[in-house]
Amino acid sequence: MAEHMDERELERTLAQIGRGLPPPSRDLWPLVRARIASGRKRPWWLSVGLPRVALAPALVTLLVLAVAAIGLTTNLVADAERILGLRGVQIFKVPETPTPPPSTQASPVLFTGTRALSVADASKIAGFVVQAPAALGDPDAIYVDASPTRVTLVFSSRPGIPPAAQIGVSALVVEIRGAVDQQLMGKAIGPGTTLEPVEVSGAPGFWLAGSPHLFFLRDANGVPQMETLRLAENTLLWERGGVTYRLEAQVTRDEAIRIASSFR
Amino acid sequence: MREPLGGTVVRTMRPHSVEGRPSEDTDLVERAQRGDQDAYGELVRRYQALATRTAYVITGTAADAEDAAQEGFTKAYFALDRFRTGAPFRPWLLRIVANEAKNRRKAAGRRPTVDLSVAEDRPSGDTALSPEAAALAGERKESVLAALRQLREEDRLVIAYRYFFELSEAEMADALACARGTVKSRLSRALARLRELASRQVSLDG
Repeated sequence: MAEHMDERELERTLAQIGRGLPPPSRDLWPLVRARIASGRKRPWWLSVGLPRVALAPALVTLLVLAVAAIGLTTNLVADAERILGLRGVQIFKVPETPTPPPSTQASPVLFTGTRALSVADASKIAGFVVQAPAALGDPDAIYVDASPTRVTLVFSSRPGIPPAAQIGVSALVVEIRGAVDQQLMGKAIGPGTTLEPVEVSGAPGFWLAGSPHLFFLRDANGVPQMETLRLAENTLLWERGGVTYRLEAQVTRDEAIRIASSFR
Repeated sequence: MREPLGGTVVRTMRPHSVEGRPSEDTDLVERAQRGDQDAYGELVRRYQALATRTAYVITGTAADAEDAAQEGFTKAYFALDRFRTGAPFRPWLLRIVANEAKNRRKAAGRRPTVDLSVAEDRPSGDTALSPEAAALAGERKESVLAALRQLREEDRLVIAYRYFFELSEAEMADALACARGTVKSRLSRALARLRELASRQVSLDG
């Protein structure tokens, strides 16, 4: 049938199918309005999956940070000053430093996506050249996510680098390729976190250290992925060739830059 | 066996077709950004059919499609502060809705096909077909529909944007988050796969 179907017939048939697609069974606006209203009231920690009791001491601080970063409440957003950003990264300065919840209570999603067999395999899946830090040896696991395309390299245990409390591994590298105007990840930092512009082999970057900061990823539409909201420790961010790199490890600034310079 | 259809079909695409009412949309979006919920309600009512049908192309179930459309509108509302002033609202919304629909399909477990079914298209008196022609058209529709069910969701979506919803090339690029130059090649590859599957369908049916 189809091979005998000419272009016009195919177009006609497709148009006919299109006309038969089911419309909504009712007016969606009252339902959407209700969702918007309940979205405003919904406690953010339920979305994050953290038990309220465990969070009580840190609640106010984290609430301020989360709301400021996610932009749900305008008066709190006014307190958060967007200070800079690399490609796809927004960093907000917020009035208080978060207290980290016990890591056993929090279960942010660190590793998702397709498991790649090697860096070369990850490059093939992700559609861009993935680089790995020679200084840390081969990654123990590699994950590739879509929407937006990002690659996560996991280094479970490396001599001289203690596993970070928030991630439970020695080092975590995230590589994201996105358009210039695309929002890919957000960070909210309090006064206890230092932020320092650095250079990584000539590329612009930032070093975040001191108190943990709040970190989350956005989906392809710029909507925060609540399941990725978590606290993060010492982090180096830099951008090269349209790819934004993020190295999280409990090392010094110079050591982080040395590791970053070994990306091949 | 199959004619190289991609190029010829794609040439008929209107590069600047303007669907929707962009200037009114811009006004409504700006009002919604300033907190006017009624303005957002008007946008929902304007695009709820398109959003639901787009989601249905991906989920293949009406209930999931309606849920994805509602959630898409809700997320779009909360993301309005990041919406670029003057940008077209419709493709931006469709991108969010399609993403919601894909998430639902993923959550339901990956299946190679979706249960896509459509209502009978009732031609008006003027265009009513003879019983033979109607049977032939019905057969064509079934084979294309069966092929659509087996297509990858990305392919189904690009075909839907062009032929079901008649999006312009620029809107398609926006909705699919790809370069304008990529739209034609993606569409032509999707159509080639559709033909391939439809022809296999016919050989299976005998």
